[in-house]
Amino acid sequence: MNDEPRLGAGGPEPPPLPRRSRWAWIVSTLAALGAGLVLAFLLGIATSNPALYERHYVWLFWVNVALASALVAVIVIAGVRMLWRVSRGRFGSRLLLKLAAIFALVGILPGVLIYAVSYQFVSRSIETWFDVKVEGALDAGLNLGRGTIDAIVSDLATKTRLAAERLGESASSAEPLSLERLREQLSAREIAVVGGSGQTLLATGSTTSGLMPERVPPQMLRQARAQRVVSQAEGLDEEGTAAAAAAAGASARVRAVALIPSTNFALGEQERFLVVTQSIAPGLAANALAVTNAYREYQQRALARSGLRKMYIGTLTLALVLAVFGALLLAIALSNQLAQPLLLLAEGVAQVARGDFSSKAVFKSRDELGGLTRSFAEMTTQLSDARELVHRSVVQVEGARANLQTILDNLTAGVIVFDRNGAIDTVNPGATRILKLPLSAYKGRRLDEVAGLGGFAQAVWQRFELHAESPEAGERDHWQDSFELQFAATADGRERDSITLLVRGAAMPQGARLMVFDDITELVSAQRVEAWSEVARRLAHEIKNPLTPIQLSAERLQQKLGGKLVGADQGMLERSVTTIVNQVQAMKTLVNEFRDYARLPASSFDALDVNALVVEVLGLYGTAQESGRLSADLAESLPAIVGDGTQLRQVIHNLVQNALDAVAEQADGRVRIVTEAAKNESGDVRAVRLVVVDNGPGFSEKVLKRAFEPYVTTKKKGTGLGLAVVKKIADEHGARVRIANIGAPPDAAGNALADSARGAQVSLSFSKLATTVRVAANEPVATSKAH
Amino acid sequence: MTSLPPHGSLRRRSVLRALGIAASRAWFPGLWFAGAAGQPAGAAEGELTSFEVVRDEDGVFLGYSVNFELGKGPEDALAKSVPLFFVAEAEIYRDRWYWRDRRVAHATKVWKIVYQPLTSTYRVTTVGGLSQNYPTREEAIAATSRSVRWKVAEAAQLDDGRHYLEFVYRLDINLLPRPMQIGIAGNPDWQLSVKRTQRIA
Repeated sequence: MNDEPRLGAGGPEPPPLPRRSRWAWIVSTLAALGAGLVLAFLLGIATSNPALYERHYVWLFWVNVALASALVAVIVIAGVRMLWRVSRGRFGSRLLLKLAAIFALVGILPGVLIYAVSYQFVSRSIETWFDVKVEGALDAGLNLGRGTIDAIVSDLATKTRLAAERLGESASSAEPLSLERLREQLSAREIAVVGGSGQTLLATGSTTSGLMPERVPPQMLRQARAQRVVSQAEGLDEEGTAAAAAAAGASARVRAVALIPSTNFALGEQERFLVVTQSIAPGLAANALAVTNAYREYQQRALARSGLRKMYIGTLTLALVLAVFGALLLAIALSNQLAQPLLLLAEGVAQVARGDFSSKAVFKSRDELGGLTRSFAEMTTQLSDARELVHRSVVQVEGARANLQTILDNLTAGVIVFDRNGAIDTVNPGATRILKLPLSAYKGRRLDEVAGLGGFAQAVWQRFELHAESPEAGERDHWQDSFELQFAATADGRERDSITLLVRGAAMPQGARLMVFDDITELVSAQRVEAWSEVARRLAHEIKNPLTPIQLSAERLQQKLGGKLVGADQGMLERSVTTIVNQVQAMKTLVNEFRDYARLPASSFDALDVNALVVEVLGLYGTAQESGRLSADLAESLPAIVGDGTQLRQVIHNLVQNALDAVAEQADGRVRIVTEAAKNESGDVRAVRLVVVDNGPGFSEKVLKRAFEPYVTTKKKGTGLGLAVVKKIADEHGARVRIANIGAPPDAAGNALADSARGAQVSLSFSKLATTVRVAANEPVATSKAH
Repeated sequence: MTSLPPHGSLRRRSVLRALGIAASRAWFPGLWFAGAAGQPAGAAEGELTSFEVVRDEDGVFLGYSVNFELGKGPEDALAKSVPLFFVAEAEIYRDRWYWRDRRVAHATKVWKIVYQPLTSTYRVTTVGGLSQNYPTREEAIAATSRSVRWKVAEAAQLDDGRHYLEFVYRLDINLLPRPMQIGIAGNPDWQLSVKRTQRIA
């Protein structure tokens, strides 16, 4: 019945993930970026290239700050949104908040712990780099180098001074040979004699191979002049790098300048200086420079210590902030992810609770949560199907019940259902109509309690008991009996109405009992009619035979004895014979009427014009017509009917006579005879109706019921066969007879209540029309209904 | 040369510069961490003992002499053989009434002073690579703190309009190693800066 695809493989697509998760994706990307930067940051620290790290520190720092700010903004927005949802009582927000809080806690706690440890570690370890011992060692190294170089310098100064004095004493002035000897003696690299303005007078040494020896700065000459000797180390300049230091070490030297004392004090004698240059061992120089560099670096770092600490801790803090914010965002995103199917489920449950069984969204994932939503959706579908099924069967049951109710309501038979305690459970309108008692008002009470039904109820109950105890053969599941019900129709009991009921009883499940009954009064009446006609036929036959001999005998007596008797005797004879003849005649009439009723002549059906018949019969009632008591109201162009003219004439005659009899005692009595054509909805003539209306007292209720039975009459004289004959003829013609009172029926005493609106009406409907092929085809009921 | 009366554009420049300095200070994250560690109000003050701008057919020449006391921090650092950098910067602006004044010339001199403990000398190196040793700190600093006839701009760079020269002499900590910058950021000892703005005749 309902095979449209439901959930499952072919089910509707689940709604697209809300923008919330898209948002979560953006945030996650941001967090990943942040983590990447942090990693780069940490990589900078990890690689043994602090210079690189330090160079990029600042912009990395600011990028991270920016990122952290973005994250803060996002988190604040997300948090506000979440709180807003919670405060609004938005569905699922509490779960979301809870999950987010849990995840955030899981993310933040280790981060904070690591941060605390790292903070301590960094600040301590930076301090440990700057050790007093290390500083002392560096100082000592530096001093060592300086002391060595100083020793060399002062040694060379002394030697140079002595050499200069010797040179001055030996007047043989400066000869290259002695100078060379001196150089070897001092193991100097270069020895020169320069003039007062620094010009080289004589030089010897390794560097003389091409180039002139380095010019002595005048400042040194001045000092030498004043102090006799001056010396200094050269080429030990700071150049920063280790390679430069090594190169400098190669060229490191000590230079000493001493004034050569003049022995002859001749004026104009030019003063001379002895310049001795000695190399410093390259290894020594390089080491000394290396120590210097290390010392410088160390001092620099010591000075930058607080900055370094701030830098590292700043990095750590940023990393923490990024990690925490990332964790928070991930927490929100993850809790969203996790809560999604749960929310879906909860929403579905809420919908189902509201009675919405529409197909539920399915969370597309392969895990148990997805399975849960899938199962829930299937369950909902099944539930919905089951509910629909129940609904359908309820509708079916309702329909069946309504059907049954309609059938019960329209059943002519009365139906009463008793429950196990004998109380009335169900009553149909038929029962009320037949019993003429408001039975439905007695629902839930016993039938005995209904006024006038005590005896009936008792009898029925006894019958039920009897049936239950010892079912008779042939009535296995039900019993059937007829009951005569007597109703006190009037208070004084003058008229007792009685109906005959055919009652059928059956046991129903759970001790309930069913009683079905029919009013068979009419049936009984018909049977009575049948019986009467049989009696009448026999009586007529038996009685009529002797009547003619009786009359003939009496007339013969008068004829024979008439002349013989005289006087009083004759008179008596005549009177007696007349009486006999009259009475026999009356008897004959009676018998004829009986015969008419019992054995009507075989009908011969012809096409008849009802109006013609009426006119023909009314011709017999000339006086009545003239006096205005009888009038005819004939419809024109009535279709011909199929009927027996003689019998119908009898019918009309009987009806008119009855009516005239009914109004005989009234001065203003009127009888009207009407013919008309009854038409159906499409305008075709369905039947021809003949109606006789009078304004007499009408029929009493009792008579109305049994008017068609013989010997039921309201007239003082009359056989009571008139209407019985009418009924019989009408039956043979397939016509329907209806008797009704016009206006208010007469009361029990037969007194008319209101003159204006009273009277009786007898109508005959002939549905067998002469040209009725078409009509009969249209109205099959009309013809068959007659029987 | 006498200093000129205050001029609107000069004011504007100096305000901008102050902002720039504030920004450069905020730049240092150390400040951000440590909070405002100090105010430049307590900075070591220096003074210009002489200042002369000469414009002739060869160009614009600047002669100056700064006299200042090194703060305790830099002095200590210098004694520990940490190199210090002194920068002299001269910029010439052309007045523009409709917009910011245009910079027409820019000249910078950088000196690096380092103490060499091995020989107990102070070595001064200029940007050009020339270096010289001095036996005492005072001599070394004196060598960095004056210039004579420093050519700031070619004659062609200036037109007939009004020009002025902004001169700054400072201890430049931006050339120090980064951690040290962070460590000393905001320290008034290190905030040595001498300025002069002079209208060019």
